[in-house]
Amino acid sequence: MNATPLVRRPLGCLKNSLRQARQLKESRLLVARGMATTTTETTGSEAPPPPRHHVFQIIDRKTKKTRTAFAIYKPAIKPSLPTLKELPPILSPPKLNKPPSNPLPALHAEQIKKMDPTGARTRLFAKTRGAARVGDILMVTHRRSGEPFSGVLIEIRRRGIDTAILLRNHLAKVGVEMWFKIYNKNVAGIEIVKRAKKRARRARLTYMRKAKHDRCDVSAAVFAWKKTRKVTTIKASAKKAAKGGKNAAGKKAK
Amino acid sequence: MIQLKTMLNCIDNSGAAIVECIQVVGQKRHASIGDRIVCVVQKQRGAGAEGMAAASNAMKVKRGDIRHAVVVRTRQMVNRRDGSVIRFDDNACVLINKAGDPVGTRVNGIVGQELRKKKWSKILSMAPMQA
Repeated sequence: MNATPLVRRPLGCLKNSLRQARQLKESRLLVARGMATTTTETTGSEAPPPPRHHVFQIIDRKTKKTRTAFAIYKPAIKPSLPTLKELPPILSPPKLNKPPSNPLPALHAEQIKKMDPTGARTRLFAKTRGAARVGDILMVTHRRSGEPFSGVLIEIRRRGIDTAILLRNHLAKVGVEMWFKIYNKNVAGIEIVKRAKKRARRARLTYMRKAKHDRCDVSAAVFAWKKTRKVTTIKASAKKAAKGGKNAAGKKAK
Repeated sequence: MIQLKTMLNCIDNSGAAIVECIQVVGQKRHASIGDRIVCVVQKQRGAGAEGMAAASNAMKVKRGDIRHAVVVRTRQMVNRRDGSVIRFDDNACVLINKAGDPVGTRVNGIVGQELRKKKWSKILSMAPMQA
């Protein structure tokens, strides 16, 4: 309908038509201005409810107001789906902003309390004066394997419940290293056989693997320690003496 | 982690001193303690300067022999069930025949306890120590 009059219109009418168009434009602008003023007034008093169906909301960059636009296609998301505001309060922004607290330390503390109720194991490898330090000679008595393993403490790996120690010794002229978990129930006892003369300047004495620095066999130190312990325990109590005697017997059998 | 070309100490009195792994028996990538390997004897024990003929009289194996062996120590750490870990300073093995009986009559040196789990009781009983 519109196309036919355009075709039929003579060239002389161009000026007329232009004028017409200008007028139309001006009138539209006027209408727009009037609408704008009215909207500013209305937003102050009451916000119009956002249309829900087939509509997605866009935040205007300059005005920071939400304006709506119609979807070209049907949205994939069902319009009945709850919006962010309608979701339960667990997912509300203030709680999300709070950083989640780490549950691991509490869990470790609980497990350590369970595995080491007296706190003796924790104390033996704490960062205190009396505690075992790298360079000391330790003896670990294992419940399953028969003989206690003794060696130089090379490393302490502090990882909560997984805290472990690395001992190094020479058995039958071959270097042997063993990791023990200190909170393991199978580890019946850990004893300090000999203190290091000096505080080690390293956290890990891995240089002891080299022949130059190797402490080699520590059985002499262990033997001397067992002797002294036997003497003291006889004086202390009969029960402990029996234990010492048993140890000595094991030594003889070896 | 014993694999192709790994050199191991032989710690029995079969006559081999150093052997080279040429095959890990079973579908395994690396052999650990208690695993069976095929190896070549590279050095004989007590092979002096005057020649091997005199020395090899008592020896059961010679240089170049291909034998089976059981790994008894590894430099690679071996995890145990309870979280403890063991590591030796060398790789060592004990020669066996195809039936699984040790070639030598003696084992000099410590062996890993994993042998018990893999049922090498003969080698365990011959060893002076186990760790």
